[in-house]
Amino acid sequence: MSEPIVGTPLRERATQALGDRFLHEALDIATTKFIALRREAFGDFPEGEALRDRARAIKEATLQRLDAHLETLVANIERLGGHVHFATTAEEARQIILDIARRTGARIAVKSKSMATEEIHLNDALEAIGVTPVETDLGEYIIQLAHERPSHIIAPAIHKTKGQVAELFSRELNRPGLAADPEVLTKIAREELREKFLQADLGITGVNFAVAETGTVVLVTNEGNGRMVTSLPRVHVAVMGVEKVIPSMTDLAVFLAILAKSATGQKLSVYTTLVQGPRRPGELEGPEEFHLVLLDNGRIAQIAGALRESLYCLRCGACLNVCPVYRQIGGHAYGYTYPGPIGILLTAMLNGPGSVKDLAHASSLCGACADACPVRIDIPKMLIELRRQVDEQHIAPWPERVVFKTFARLLAHPALYRLGARLGRTLQRPFVRDGRIRSLPYFFGQWTRTRDLPPVAARTFQERWRGLS
Amino acid sequence: MDFHKLASDGGAPAPRRPTARTTKLEFLARIRGEMAKTRGLFPASPTERPAQPRQRLDLLRRELSERWPQTLARFRSEFERVAGVFHRVPSAADVPAELERICRERAARRLIAWPAEDLGVAIAPALGDAGIAVESMPRAVPPDPERRRLRALIAEADLGVTGADLAVAETGTLVLVSAAGRPRTTSLVPPCHVAVFDRTALVESLEQVGLVLEAWHDGPAPAERGAVINFITGPSRTADIELTLTRGVHGPKEVHAIFVDGGLGLHG
Repeated sequence: MSEPIVGTPLRERATQALGDRFLHEALDIATTKFIALRREAFGDFPEGEALRDRARAIKEATLQRLDAHLETLVANIERLGGHVHFATTAEEARQIILDIARRTGARIAVKSKSMATEEIHLNDALEAIGVTPVETDLGEYIIQLAHERPSHIIAPAIHKTKGQVAELFSRELNRPGLAADPEVLTKIAREELREKFLQADLGITGVNFAVAETGTVVLVTNEGNGRMVTSLPRVHVAVMGVEKVIPSMTDLAVFLAILAKSATGQKLSVYTTLVQGPRRPGELEGPEEFHLVLLDNGRIAQIAGALRESLYCLRCGACLNVCPVYRQIGGHAYGYTYPGPIGILLTAMLNGPGSVKDLAHASSLCGACADACPVRIDIPKMLIELRRQVDEQHIAPWPERVVFKTFARLLAHPALYRLGARLGRTLQRPFVRDGRIRSLPYFFGQWTRTRDLPPVAARTFQERWRGLS
Repeated sequence: MDFHKLASDGGAPAPRRPTARTTKLEFLARIRGEMAKTRGLFPASPTERPAQPRQRLDLLRRELSERWPQTLARFRSEFERVAGVFHRVPSAADVPAELERICRERAARRLIAWPAEDLGVAIAPALGDAGIAVESMPRAVPPDPERRRLRALIAEADLGVTGADLAVAETGTLVLVSAAGRPRTTSLVPPCHVAVFDRTALVESLEQVGLVLEAWHDGPAPAERGAVINFITGPSRTADIELTLTRGVHGPKEVHAIFVDGGLGLHG
C-alpha cells in the first residue's frame, strides 16, 4: 500500500495553494489552454464521440475477461523472450524491481514518466540500494532535482517558473548563471540526460497500453525519452497496473485516436512506441532483458467494487484541467500520487476510503470531469458513493456530520424546513454585509474564510409561491 | 454479492508469506474470484477484429493505390502542422542531391543511415563524393569493439536517414519498424531525422493503421523483424517549462520526409 505523501490536513494544503499567486496564474493559464486544445482537437474529429463510446466499451469488456487477456499477454511476452512478474502490493513490486537491479548490477536507472512507479515510490527504494534513479521526462527531471512531487499528470512541473528552473539547474547541475529561457534550459537538460541514457544499465518505464494478442507494451511520449529508455540500457523493466491490458491492435488504434486529443489536444503524441520483448537477433540495439511487472495494489478488488470505473482511466489528465477545485488548488494540495477528480478515486482504491475522508468532498460534483473523460468515467457518481462510505464509517469530522444530518432532516420535513428558514433569517442578521454572509462564528468560520455564503432570502421561494395562489 | 461495497483497505489482502512472491496462478485466481461477482453485469465481447487481416490489407492497398495523391496531400498538410519539413523528388536517383542540400544547410557532416537495401536507394557514394561521410548501419550485429565504435558514432551523428514503413495522412505520422540494419536510434539520437518514402507507405487513417498492425501480426513474424515499432509525429517536443513549446528535447529537433514520386527500389 502506498503512503500518504504529506502529513498536513487538506485544509492547510489547500490554503497554502490558494495563497500561491504564481501557482494560481500558472494553473489558470495551463488548464485553460489544455481545455481549448482538447476542444479544438475533438471539434476537428467528428468520429471522436463514437470512438469514446467504443473505447469505454473495450475497457468494460476487457475487465469482464481480464484473466484471459492477462494470460494471453503473459504467454505472448514470454514467447517473445520477456519475463513477467506479478505484484500484489507496492512493496512486492518494489522488491521485484530491486532484485532485477541487484542481479544486473545496475548503478544508474533511467526512467520514463510513469505514474505507476510514482505510486509504488520506487525511487526511494532504488536509492536505498545504491541505484541512482534519473527521471528523464523534462518536467519530472525538474521536480526530481527540486525534491518535489508531480503536480499534474501530464505537466508535472506546471507549478514552477522558468526563473525557478534556471536557478535550480544552475545550482544542482553546477552551471552558474543560466538564463531563464526555456530553450536554453531544455538544451541543458538534453545534454545532461543524454549522458545518463548512455551510462544507464537499467531503463524503467510505465505502460500506456499492453496489447494481449501480440505481447506489445505501448509507451506514449512527446519528448522521446520513452524511446531512449527502451533503446539504450541493457535491461528494460516496464511496470503496469493490470487494467492497462487491451485485447488487440484494432483496439489500440481506437485508444490512440482519443488519448492525445484528450491530454494535450494533439492528434497523436510525437512518439508512440510499441515494444515487443527484448532485442531480436540481428538488432544492433535494444535491451537484452525485458521484464514486465503486473501490478495489483488495490486494483483487482475494484473489478467488482464501487470504484470499478476508475479502472477504465487512461491517465490523460483531462478531468484535472476542467475541475474547478483542481484549477484552484493544483495537484500538490491533494497530497497523494494521483491528483484531481480521478485522483481522489485512485487514492481511495490504493489506500482505502479512510484516506479520502476530506478529499471526497474536494469536488463540487459539477460533472465537468465526466464530460471531459475520454472513456466517460462517471466520477461524480463514485465520489458520492465514497462520501456515503466515509459517512458510514463515521470518519468524517463531527461538525460536518452534524450539519449534514440537520440539513437532511430539514429537507425531509417541509414544516421544519420552513421553520429553519425563518430561524436562519433571524440568526443571520448580524453577519450579512452587502447581501452576502462573509464570515461566521465558531467552526462555521472555517467555511466562510475562503468563501461567501448566500443569505436566506428576505422572502423564501415557498413564501412567495404561497403569495401567488 | 455486495457490488457497492468498497474494499476497506486497498484490496483484499492476499495470503502472503514474508519472502514468497505472488505466483501467476494466485494472481489470476484472485482476478477470477472478483470477476465472478460481475458476471453478466457488463458485456464481455471484445471489439470485432478483422478476420483474415492480410487479405483485407491487400484489398485496402489496392483501393489506396487509386487515390494516393489525395492521401499524400493530406499527409503533407498534417506533417507540416506538426512542424515536419516535407520534400518531394521525382525519382530515387534524386534523393542523394536532396539529402546533400539538407546537410549543407545545417552544416551536417556525419550521417548515419539504414543500408541501401532497406532505404531502397544508395546514398553513400554520391554523398561521399560531396564530402559527407555516411555510415551504414550493419545488418548483422558486429563483435564488441566495432559495436562500441558504432555506438559512439551514432551518439555523435548530425543526421539520421531512414525509410518509413507507413506514412499516416490523418496525423502526419511516420511508422518505422526496427530490424537488423534498421536500428532504433537512427531516427532518434541525431538532432535531425530524414525519412525517405514512396506511395506504397501511404495510409489514410489510424483505423487503417490498426488493420496494418493486425496484418503484420497475423501468423509468425518474419525472422528479420525487430522488437520495436515506432510512430513518429513530428520532432521531439516538450512544454514542461511554463508551457513554452520547445523542440528537440531528447529526440530530433527536426524531422524531414522525402517523398519519391517514381518509387524506391524496395518493391520491385
